[in-house]
Amino acid sequence: MKLSQDVLLGLFFVVFGVVSVSIAMSYPFGTSGRMGPGYFPVIISSLLVLTGLLVLFRAQLVQPEILPAIRWKPLLLIPGAVVIFGLAVETLGLPLAILLLTILSAATSIKFHIGWKAVAGSLAFAALCSVIFIELLGLPIPMVGSWLRVLGF
Amino acid sequence: MDIFDGLLLGFSTATTLSNFAYCFAGVLLGTAVGVLPGLGPIATISILLPFTFGLPVDTALIMLAGIFYGSQYGGSTTAILMNLPGEASSVVTTLDGHQMAKQGKAGRALAAAAIGSFFAGTVGTLFIVIAAPLLASLALTFGPAEYFSLIMLGLITSMVLTSGSLLTAFGMALFGIILGMIGTDINTGAARYTFGSPYLLDGLDFVVVATGIFGLGDVLINLENERLRVVGVAPVSSLFPTAEDWRRMTAPILRGTGIGVLLGVLPGAGVLLASFSAYALEKKISKRPEEFGKGAIEGVAAPEAANNAAAQTCFIPMLTLGLPGTATMALMIGALVVQGVQPGPEILSQQPALFWGLVVSMWIGNLMLLFLNLPLVGMWAKLISVPYHFLFPMICVFMAIGVYSINNSVFDVYMMALFGVLGYFFKRMGAEPAPLILAMILGPMAEEYLRRTLLISHGDASVFFTSPLSLGTLVVAALLLLSIVSPRFRKVREEGLQEVD
Repeated sequence: MKLSQDVLLGLFFVVFGVVSVSIAMSYPFGTSGRMGPGYFPVIISSLLVLTGLLVLFRAQLVQPEILPAIRWKPLLLIPGAVVIFGLAVETLGLPLAILLLTILSAATSIKFHIGWKAVAGSLAFAALCSVIFIELLGLPIPMVGSWLRVLGF
Repeated sequence: MDIFDGLLLGFSTATTLSNFAYCFAGVLLGTAVGVLPGLGPIATISILLPFTFGLPVDTALIMLAGIFYGSQYGGSTTAILMNLPGEASSVVTTLDGHQMAKQGKAGRALAAAAIGSFFAGTVGTLFIVIAAPLLASLALTFGPAEYFSLIMLGLITSMVLTSGSLLTAFGMALFGIILGMIGTDINTGAARYTFGSPYLLDGLDFVVVATGIFGLGDVLINLENERLRVVGVAPVSSLFPTAEDWRRMTAPILRGTGIGVLLGVLPGAGVLLASFSAYALEKKISKRPEEFGKGAIEGVAAPEAANNAAAQTCFIPMLTLGLPGTATMALMIGALVVQGVQPGPEILSQQPALFWGLVVSMWIGNLMLLFLNLPLVGMWAKLISVPYHFLFPMICVFMAIGVYSINNSVFDVYMMALFGVLGYFFKRMGAEPAPLILAMILGPMAEEYLRRTLLISHGDASVFFTSPLSLGTLVVAALLLLSIVSPRFRKVREEGLQEVD
């Protein structure tokens, strides 16, 4: 079986559906008159498995499209940078978290090169966002994170 | 309360200094982000969501609505000047709008779009004023069977109107329903699909999923094609339509408005259907059908009017039934829930200031857009040409702050990263995520109404066919499904719903 859009999507539906059915089987099913917590999930997940199988079947009928190459760098780095923002926002504070996210995500662009403009721009952006969201809009996000406060900032 | 009192209340709510200012800020920011290529209304709303946190409910809702139609206006500007539709419903605008821009008539195309949209917005708002209270009182008589059938209709319409295959859309909707079921089952209290994690007990936050799939996913897709991104913005000349233009666009605007107002109420992808139908109708009845696709002003004015009329009236099912008609409206519901408001028929009687303030602010917002967009079009054109590598890091930051601020939860930020990757995967597999988003919010409602219906009827499913309203809704849904099998409709659908890239 050649990898094509439909094959991957079909596999995704089938695998997700099977996992979902098997989890839902452990919930009380109930009857139609008194639906248990498992009733709806089992039906929906089974339909998803069926749909996935149909998508796989359809993939056999048509000429597979060639999958274009994936640029892994942004695909890994951007979500990674978002996760790092999540790790940093409470421990280091919002300004530093923004700075990290800005620079790490910008680094995935083919046009990225580090220079004083990029640094100054991201510093200004981080400062501006912190002022807008924390001072003006009053969102409860720490300006200085818990780790830094331990250090006495 | 009659309509007149309501409007007075609305005016007094919408014209307080802060509400007026936030309405203005909403349309301004919405347009500014909406003109950025590749950002549709869903991405725009999720990027700008953090700006509405911390505001009082009515102000936040007014600003959100401002962002929503600001982004629609911005999207048509990009469609005309750059031939890049921000969302499926602006695809039609590119057909003739960009041709006009190429012929040096960009300003007149933009003016036609803005005037058409303003007129349609005014009519659409008036329609909400008249129809919403009626529908809300009607909705109070709906039983669970009627609600369930309406939800089915909404889901099926959104699947039929999604580009790509119906089967794929069905799978996406089912996947969305499963995502919606994560968390505590409201009836039995059983924790479903939580994997023992306390973070999942309240369910996945809908806004987090939408931001991940549409916002972050789009960033990932755009970076993939970074080399291919061309920045060619057509120059804007005179903004004033000629007498000939006025003569040619008046009737199409009227017809487009009519189509948009009616189709916008339909659950499903009302906005999209409206602009396509309006364009098709104009092409059919025009004396010069050969000019369509080569810069006919009718082909800009009619779909833009329809688009905006539907964008107003698609608030009706959300405000009166609590059912989102489109993925964007689903996100609006998500944002409302974050604010602690549960949309539904009670909103009109229990929070009249909220409802009427919103309606009036919609009209004020449209007026602002008319006066804002035409003079500022030079600025928007500059904004379009800001290179993407400056924009996307900022987009990521706004989304991360927004998602974090919903519950002050870092877990949500991680979830957004995960759904960003998933959104990228779906796009690459040719699966449109719109049905998923709609299903995620409609799925749990469907389960609840199904459970109530079957509880009342002791497990007898025939009630769905004995209630006339429920039967009628299901028949419409079935016809829609059948229509896709017909080769003629199939062809129209494929032509209409070409991939939006």
